[in-house]
Formats: sequence, C-alpha cells, structure tokens
Amino acid sequence: MLAGSSPSAGIHGGHADGVTPISRVRTWRARPWLGVVPFLLFLVLFLFIPALSVFYNALRTTRGWSLTAMGEAMTGQNLEAFRFSVTFSAGAALVGVGFGVLLAYAAATARRPTWLRGLVSSFSGVAANMGGLPLAFAFLSLLGRQGVVTKILGAMGWDIYSGDFTLGSVNGLIIVYSYFNIPLMVLVTLPAIDGLRPSWREACSNLGGTTWTYWSRIGLPVLLPSILGGFLLLFAISFSAYATAAILTDNSKIVPLRIGFFLGGDVRIGESAVGYSLAAWMILIMGVAMSLYWVARRRSEKWQS
Amino acid sequence: MTTLRFDDIRKTFGTTVALEEFSLDVREGELVSLLGPSGCGKTTALRVAAGFETGDRGSVHLSGNEITRVPAHKRNMGMVFQSYSLFPNLSVAQNVEFGLRTRKVRTEERRRRTMAVLDLVQLASLADRYPHQLSGGQQQRVALARALAIEPAVLLLDEPLSALDAKVRTTLRDEIRRIQTEIGTTTLFVTHDQEEALTISDRIAVMSEGRIEQLGTPMQIYRQPSSGFVARFIGSLNEIPAISKGPGRIEVAGRDYAVDHTHPIGASLSLLIRPEDTRLDPTGFAGTVVNSHFQGAATRIVVRVDTIDSLVEVHGVGDDLTSLQPGARTAVDFERSRAVCEARSI
Amino acid sequence: MNRRLRSLLGIFGRRFVPTMVLIVSFLFFLAPLVTLARFSLQNVPTILLGWSTLFDKWSLSGLTRAFSDPNFWPSLSLTLRLTLGTVALTMLVVVPTAIWVHLRLPRLRSTIEFLTLLPYMIPAIAMVAGIVVVKPHVRWFLNSDLSLIPFYAVLALPFTYRSIDAGLRAIPLRVLVDASRSLGGGLASTIMKVLVPNLRAALISASFLTAAVVIGEFTIANTLLKETLPRFQATYVGREPQGGYGLNLLAILVTVALFVILNRLTRRKTTPRRPYLTHDSSFEEQPRATTLIGEGL
Repeated sequence: MLAGSSPSAGIHGGHADGVTPISRVRTWRARPWLGVVPFLLFLVLFLFIPALSVFYNALRTTRGWSLTAMGEAMTGQNLEAFRFSVTFSAGAALVGVGFGVLLAYAAATARRPTWLRGLVSSFSGVAANMGGLPLAFAFLSLLGRQGVVTKILGAMGWDIYSGDFTLGSVNGLIIVYSYFNIPLMVLVTLPAIDGLRPSWREACSNLGGTTWTYWSRIGLPVLLPSILGGFLLLFAISFSAYATAAILTDNSKIVPLRIGFFLGGDVRIGESAVGYSLAAWMILIMGVAMSLYWVARRRSEKWQS
Repeated sequence: MTTLRFDDIRKTFGTTVALEEFSLDVREGELVSLLGPSGCGKTTALRVAAGFETGDRGSVHLSGNEITRVPAHKRNMGMVFQSYSLFPNLSVAQNVEFGLRTRKVRTEERRRRTMAVLDLVQLASLADRYPHQLSGGQQQRVALARALAIEPAVLLLDEPLSALDAKVRTTLRDEIRRIQTEIGTTTLFVTHDQEEALTISDRIAVMSEGRIEQLGTPMQIYRQPSSGFVARFIGSLNEIPAISKGPGRIEVAGRDYAVDHTHPIGASLSLLIRPEDTRLDPTGFAGTVVNSHFQGAATRIVVRVDTIDSLVEVHGVGDDLTSLQPGARTAVDFERSRAVCEARSI
Repeated sequence: MNRRLRSLLGIFGRRFVPTMVLIVSFLFFLAPLVTLARFSLQNVPTILLGWSTLFDKWSLSGLTRAFSDPNFWPSLSLTLRLTLGTVALTMLVVVPTAIWVHLRLPRLRSTIEFLTLLPYMIPAIAMVAGIVVVKPHVRWFLNSDLSLIPFYAVLALPFTYRSIDAGLRAIPLRVLVDASRSLGGGLASTIMKVLVPNLRAALISASFLTAAVVIGEFTIANTLLKETLPRFQATYVGREPQGGYGLNLLAILVTVALFVILNRLTRRKTTPRRPYLTHDSSFEEQPRATTLIGEGL
C-alpha cells in the first residue's frame, strides 16, 4: 500500500486497515458466480416472471393444468393467424435480406466517396431502431390514401388503392417493415463482409480460381451463417412487431395484434386462456427462431476472428 | 527450365512510386530474397509477379514467355501470404487440394498429391482439422503445402514468417529452405528480416524506395556492401566522420589513411566499418569503454573515441575484450580494406 | 463469352449495379421522411397538392403545435424520467455484470450472452401479457408510472449488453484492472476512474440505444395505460393530424440529432477499419459508436 493512499475497500470488501477477513475472501474467490446474482435476479423478476405467467395462464384452468387452451390457440382462426404471421414475417425477412445484402455489398465495396460506407452504416444504425409510431405515420404520409406518392402515381394513371392494397395489407406491411429490416440486415452483413479477407480472394485467384469459384466455394459459404442469422433476426422482429402494425391495421391475423385484442377487449373468463396460449406459442416460436439465430451467429463469429 | 524475369518494371500508386526500373533475373531452382524496409517495394514486386498488380511499364517473363498481361489465376504460381490466408470454411485437406480442384484433377490423384505434400510439411495427421484449430506455424505450413500441391512454376512467399513467434520462425524458416531445395522450385521470398534473408537465400536483392540497391549472394551483400544503405541495413555498422583527401586517401581524427574511395578532396565523409572489422589496437584512436556485453559467441564493446566523439562498436573474442570494464581506457583501429566511404550530408 | 462482353458485364456488376442500389436505397429511405415533413409543415392537403401549390403555406407551426396540448408536457416529462431511470438502471446492472463476467467468469460468457437474447424471445406484447397476469398481486408496484423502468431495461438488454461487451473486448481489461489494483485502487475506484473513461464509446452508445428504446416503446405503455409520449403521439394524431405528424417528425429529428452528437463524441483517433484494403489490425481501438449500435444485434 502506498503511503498516504486511502485504504479502499478492496475487491474483496476490506476493513480500514486493508485486511480482509478470510471468510469473505474465500466466498468471493470460491463462488465468483455470486457476482452475477444481481443480474440474474433482475432477469428473473422482470423477464422470467412475466414469461412464466404467460405459460401459467395458458395452462391453467379452473380444474387444474390443461393443454386445451394451447391446442385451441393453434386451431381454426388462430391457426390461420399463425400461418399468416409466419408467412408474412418470412416474406418481410426475405425482402430485408435480399436488399440488405445488396446494400451492404454496395456500401462495402464502394471506394468513392470515402464517407459513403460510414454514412450507410450510421444511417442503418438509426433506421434499424426506428419503428413504431413515427415510422407508421411517415409511411402514411408517403403511401397512405392521402399520401404523396399515392397521389403522384394516381396522376400517372395508377391507382394503387384500386385493388385490395392498403398499408396494412401484406404487401404494404412488408414495404413498411423493410424500412427497419433492410438497415438491420446491413448492420449484420457489413461486419461479415469485412470479415472476408482480401488474402482469401487472392489465394483463390492464385490457385486458379475465378470470381465465380471464389464466391461459390468461399465467399458465400463464409457469409452464409451471417445471412441465415440475419434472416432469423428479421423474421423474429417482423413477427413480434406490434406498434407499427397497430397503427396501420386492425388485422387480427397478425399474431401480436391478436394478442393485443385478447388483452384489451371484452374477454370472458374462459377465453383469456386462449389469449395467453397465443402469447405462449409466440414465445415458443420466437424461442426457436432466436436459438437458431444464436447458433448461426456463433458460427459466423468463429470464422470472422 | 522455370525462370522468372522482371524487365524494367515501374509501378506507381497515385503519387507514390512503388517500383522504379525494377529488373531481376531469377534462375531456375534458385531462392532469391527481396529484402528491405517497409515501403521499399518488395511486396509490390511480388504481387506484380503473381499478377495482382500490373506495372505501368515493363514486362514479366516466365521461362522466356511474357506473362505481363496474363491474369493471376492463369499464371500457375504458388503464393504463401503473411497470415490468415487459409479458407476458414474448408478443412486442411480441402484447402490444400483447392488448386488441384480448379485444375480438374481427378479425385484419386488429388487425394494422393494432397497427402504427399502434407507429408512433406509433416502435417498429414491434421488433414481433417479446420484452420481455426491450428496454431500460426501450422497454418503457414498448410499454406505452403497448398501452394506446393499444384506444382507451381514459381513459388512466391510474402513475409510468411513475420506473424509467427521467434522460435517457430527459425524452425519454419529452415524447413521452407529444406523443402525448396528438395523440390527445386524457383522461389521469390519477401522479407524485412535480414537474418532470414541471409540464412536461406541463394541471392538477395536489397531494395530501397522501389529500386534494387544491390543484388548478390549473402556473402557478397554482407562483406561487400555497395552502398551505405545496404551496409546499414545488413548487420551492424560503425559510422565514423572523416574528410576526403582525394581519391584513395582520407583523414580521420587527424590521421591520414589509405582507404579505397573516389570522393573529391574536402568532401565530408562517413567511414562505414563493421564491428567485426574493428579491433582493439594500442596504436589506434584512444577512447573510453562505455559498455561491455559478453554475448557468448562474441563480446561486444562500445567505446567512446576521444577525438571523434562517436561511439564505436567492437566485436571480437578473447580475454582482452572480456576483461574490460566500463570506464577503462583503450584504443581502437579498423581494417581498412573492409571500409566503405560514403558522402555525408552535414 | 468473349473478353469484351465479359469485362463489360464485370463493370456493370461492379460499378453500375451497386451505384443504382445506393441511389434507390437513398431515395427509399429519404422519401417517407420528406413526406412526413411535408405533411406536418405544409398546410396543403394532398388532394390540392400540385405544382402550383408546391410552395404554399409552409410553416414550422406543425412542429410545435403539440406543445400547446395540455397532455403533452406531462407525457414528455414521464418519458424523459423513464429514459433517465432506464439508462441509470442499465448502467448499474449491466456494466458491473459485464465487467465481472469478463474478469471472473469467462467461461460463462456465452451463456450470459445467450441470456441477453431472451428479451427477443419474449417480445413486448408477450411480456406485457405476463405482467397483466401478475398485476393484481403487485398493484403497489405497477401503480407507479416509473415501474416501467425495469421492464424497459430488459427490453434494451440485448443492445446494451452487446454494446458494452464489445467495448470491453476492445480494451485490455485484465491489464487495466490489475494495474489499477496494484496501485492501490479498490473496486469502485477502478471502475469509475479507470474503466469508465476507456469505455466511453460503449457506454454512450448503450445509453443512446436505451433512450431510443424508451422513447419509442408503445406496446407495454399502451397496455398498462401509462401516459408516456408514444401513447400521447398515438392519440393526439386523431385530434390534430398536422400537429401529430409534426410531433413524430420532431421525434425523428431529435433521434437523428442525438445520433450525430453521439458520433462526434466518440470520434475515433485512428483510421477506421476499411474493407478490401490490406491492413495491420494489431491493437483494436475502441469501436466507434455506430459500429457498436450495429453490434447490438
């Protein structure tokens, strides 16, 4: 201890003379996991309990545990809703992946101007987090019934609302969701593209490979985990998005909205279990999707180092 | 007969001149090192040979055929990069056979040649591992195997050892040389480490600022450096200020010496002499010992010479050196025939 | 295919297509913002919009009209307090945990990382459903508007943890801590005086992400009937369309401004990593905030 320095509470919690009781030291050293207890407690209280409550209500009836509600949540109109949501989210994810990869590649390979890549990256950071209400309203002003582009297209002879297109329809929502899906994909893909070392390209060329050889045997395979991961992430986010959809439509075939209706509307005692089952199924689906995303991300990180 | 010839290559990047009047003849089966500090153009020259860069002017010839405009993937050269060049999604064996697959070699023969070359680098047991499971040294050996599997006309190595630990570096260095002589591939080796170049090369091209300063055998480069740059870059060097007394004569600290040079009278010179060619001599320049390092094979003494006020290093063996302490009085002199005189800018 | 054609296709692929992609993207991402601005700042209904009326009746009043609504200021105040509270809670919980895991529990790192992905698996709507279940039992807690804070912190967890984790990975953590302790620093002073200054970019971007989450969160607040700014935004639009859209525009502008400030504050000293050019990446500098926001995924 330097002379004059204040005796501080050491990492083991000390006394004024700098000596720590043996028992305390042993505790910290032997059980380092104690340090994450606050964090785990936090998660339990504010994440696990709500999640478990969902399952509790889904599986509980007046007569005890039962899977009826869970079953009912996957039949009839509810099944329709899940099917709709899954296909819709997959579609939105595909669009996001396709354009996101293109945009990321365009930004990564652009030499001039030099600030372009940084701009795309920064903008993607902002846009990816933009969701909810401002986004919905922005698109209403663009493509809504009174939207500017709607009017322009109308003046050119194409009434986009003549069919059953609305911003709340599948196509409409996909367009709106792309606003954050594409940047999200860019954010995932840019580091992956950076991870493609120039020496691989050159080594491939040196060994007799053409551009096609490189992309088909090395480039795309290395990028694949990131792309798959991105797809899963976009799927998950599109599936669970609530606020944007709520503004644009009241389509009860979108599962988050459907759950919202169950939560907010007149619900008889028996029916609430179905509502919670919907949420429970949603958690399960998201669980699968995010676990797969986790696997994909680990794989891509292994190759990026 | 695979020979590689650079003919008057000039290459610029924007306003930077990377290569200027670069001409080099690499003979069959020879290992030539391109040696120099960062930015001297050695890597650029290698990349021109590989086809990743094209010179603004000049040509490259392989066994007499001009390949200047031939794309990289058609040149049949094997290249080993500095690091991380193995394809991460392919196993060791798949990496090594990559060049054979692009050449559409049949599976059986591919297998055979892959295992043969992996045996050569002593990594056959790791054939199914993936690059991220290998150490740096192992990765470079796989990279070497991959380059050799295609039986290239020329082997190009771009500082393959720079990213490795010192111990691994020396073992791998000797192994590369052993394999190269065994197979007899014409090889171009780029490095900034002079010890590496001196150890393994048949000839060395010392480069600076895009030009070859000197081309010669390791012995020639070391013993007869043609310029101050080469003399300074290789080995250690003493620099002693002197004044020219006309061609063949100089004045050092008040004494006249006969030293081979062609500088005009009155020119300020730096006398460059290696520490091994400097000795303790009671009739020489008086000075005080500053430091004395016993390094096992030789002893290194640093002397501050009174009249010149510069530090002179003496390398040698013998008890007269090892017994000297800092502060002791002594005198130094040098082997005149080995000295090089260079004009000194004030 | 002959060489001419092949090289033309090559140039097409390498120059033209990427450029088109960039231009189209630029237009797509800018357009909604432009029309949002137009709607809020120009008092001309779309039907009447034409070349002649393009420059009529522009004013900035649309932006500030919301300010005059009596419900605006309370909701803004609540959201601001929630933001500060959530950022504070995040710093208090996530930063020490991340540091602890890095230092003492490196083998648990991937497990903890997986845990931070759980909020994705339990999206806001499901979480709030669960909250409603336990509501009767913890009315004392949920009655307070500030009870949203821990839930918001959970929602932001994936971003914040990843951000701080990336920042920790870029500094020689072990060395810094050991050096600080060998010079007599205790736990608290090590964190405050040594680590925090070195983690500036990560901490700032984590705060920013948290703020973005809180300012935009609608689902939970709506279900629990807390009068936050997003809730106000949703209902106000019905009463005052232009003002409502103007408020949304303001929200976006503030977010962008925050982002620009964030970038300025965390400007890197060395050249950022550039793709496709050879470089020597020995010591990783503290990552730029924009990168960290991207890493929060």
